[in-house]
Amino acid sequence: MARPKVAFFDFSCCEGCQLQIANFGEPLLDILKLIEVVEFREVMSEKYAGTLDVAIIEGSINTTHAIERIKGIRDRSKVLIAMGSCATIGGVNGIKNAFPLNDIAEYVYGGDSEYFESIQTMSVHQVVKVDYFVHGCPIYPPEFVAVLKAVLMAVPYDVPDYPVCVECKLNGNVCMYDRGVTCLGPVTRAGCNAWCIGNGNICYGCRGMVSNPNEKGSIDVIRRYGLSMEHIINKLEMYNKCRELNPHG
Amino acid sequence: MAYAVLQKGRFDDFIVALAAQRKVMAPVSKGYGHFEFEEVRSATEIALRYIPTILPPKKYFMPQRETILQYTSDSIEAVVDFDPMAIFGVHTCDLAGIQCLNMVFSERPKDYNYLVRKNNIIIIGLECGDYCDQYASCAMMNSEMPNGGYDLFVTEFDEYLLFHVSTQTGEDIVKSTGLFETADASHKSRLAEYRKKKKSIFKKELPIDSKDIALLFDKCFESKVWDELNDRCLACGNCNNVCPTCYCFDVIDEPALDLTSGVRYRRWDSCQLETFARVAGGANFRENRGARQRHRYYRKFSYPVKKFFRYFCTGCGRCSRACMANIRLKDVLMDLIKAHPLDNA
Ligand code: SF4
Ligand code: SF4
Ligand code: SF4
Ligand code: SF4
Ligand code: SF4
Repeated sequence: MARPKVAFFDFSCCEGCQLQIANFGEPLLDILKLIEVVEFREVMSEKYAGTLDVAIIEGSINTTHAIERIKGIRDRSKVLIAMGSCATIGGVNGIKNAFPLNDIAEYVYGGDSEYFESIQTMSVHQVVKVDYFVHGCPIYPPEFVAVLKAVLMAVPYDVPDYPVCVECKLNGNVCMYDRGVTCLGPVTRAGCNAWCIGNGNICYGCRGMVSNPNEKGSIDVIRRYGLSMEHIINKLEMYNKCRELNPHG
Repeated sequence: MAYAVLQKGRFDDFIVALAAQRKVMAPVSKGYGHFEFEEVRSATEIALRYIPTILPPKKYFMPQRETILQYTSDSIEAVVDFDPMAIFGVHTCDLAGIQCLNMVFSERPKDYNYLVRKNNIIIIGLECGDYCDQYASCAMMNSEMPNGGYDLFVTEFDEYLLFHVSTQTGEDIVKSTGLFETADASHKSRLAEYRKKKKSIFKKELPIDSKDIALLFDKCFESKVWDELNDRCLACGNCNNVCPTCYCFDVIDEPALDLTSGVRYRRWDSCQLETFARVAGGANFRENRGARQRHRYYRKFSYPVKKFFRYFCTGCGRCSRACMANIRLKDVLMDLIKAHPLDNA
């Protein structure tokens, strides 16, 4: 059986998720036995303009040109995967949406801002249909592999719709709230095996929120730690600002 | 009743000798006032005074993630993985938790994975002479005193550890290590004194008799207390995952990269999670977080009384400690007691 043709494309992002894949090490060789990578700017110069079995999209959409480009990719791809927070939820690029577009353009481009078009940041599924999501900033490699297996077997991949706390507790970690710091684990969807907490850091919410977060309850909890309301909202919005725009695509 | 004495100076020799026979798990400090059962090789690693560990010793009987089956394109094979071990330092509340799980998994159809593992675990209990902290309600739940479920049970005194030997396995350990002295009347009278003092410390923590808790739950299904919890609970599932008597699991198939072979595993599940009662088509039988909290409490104080004739709460307090929303079991019960007075109270 011919290996499915797979291409990686990047939009507004840091390319850190592509780097994660390039850094997979040995498992990458096993993966390459299953797929044929025809375009992947991070590691190869070839381009591919034909029909794709799988398009893997990194980055969020924030220019009209990007909208046209992602629609074109969608049209020639049988399966489309959004990879990394920028693509799946808008991610940190969404912070832009908290400010008037003109102010932001001027802040970034100064006097030249009139030459650069700026539209609100959108995640990929807010523009085209997305078949699979690999959340995270950056993606968690084992989950990427799990999603790829689901794609190749043509079965759905269920992104966990329960919080990071579940994986955190199953790993027996001391809770950050017991270390006197706040953590977004309770409202953030799992799937990263509580990666940050396992490495001594708090959860920043990079995988996006669970479908039905108790936002009021979370704010009450965080507020007990003496944080200002503004700081709490900033915390919740660092990755999740794009939620306000049409969250279900 | 056989007792044996281990001088404290020999405690380390004991753990080292036991660790030479099989893996030894014991409470270890994790900082920030928290503890966890982990493998130890010497007594210096062990915290003899500890509050209930983050995860209960349940994790050795029913691991967080456990492979139960492996398959290839033309074969399927059941898997029972186990590791013979001794768990040292199990408090009486956790002994009660294990007794609950034993009942659940011995029911037909028996759970062989659990039972095989249980048969390969030696349990060494450890007595609490005082409360671990303010979240405990072990006296109300009748789990503050040793009540079986161990091979050996340790009570700590200044100069020695007094071991109650309860099973043949326990006796074999005492004999094989050669480190113990036989207890005499003076040791036993010190134990009696210790228990007397303990009875003066441990009093039922809430103004309700243990037997009346089930009656309270017969009247509070529609209570407003659950609505209040709906606003506060974050549905993080911590209270389930740390509970010594929660036993729900989910079953998941995981293919290998060749896409034709793979494993089936089970993983702890929690009734507090949004997904727990969500079914195909997207309907959710318990969408309301308050209803999920209610379910958890009924699974401790009402349903198991009807099925197993005992409460499935040991009073260990873990659910209260693990809740960042400050939902405390004793407070919730107190609110219910106040809102729904029993006729005889
Ligand atoms: S550390 Fe964070 S993710 Fe872990 S249990 Fe606490 S709140 Fe949840
Ligand atoms: S712990 Fe939180 S911030 Fe870290 S990878 Fe997981 S979801 Fe992202
Ligand atoms: S630990 Fe607290 S916040 Fe989390 S599910 Fe339980 S009651 Fe709700
Ligand atoms: S319900 Fe809470 S106090 Fe009771 S056994 Fe479970 S964790 Fe312990
Ligand atoms: S709940 Fe009771 S038995 Fe359990 S550790 Fe605390 S004091 Fe000991």
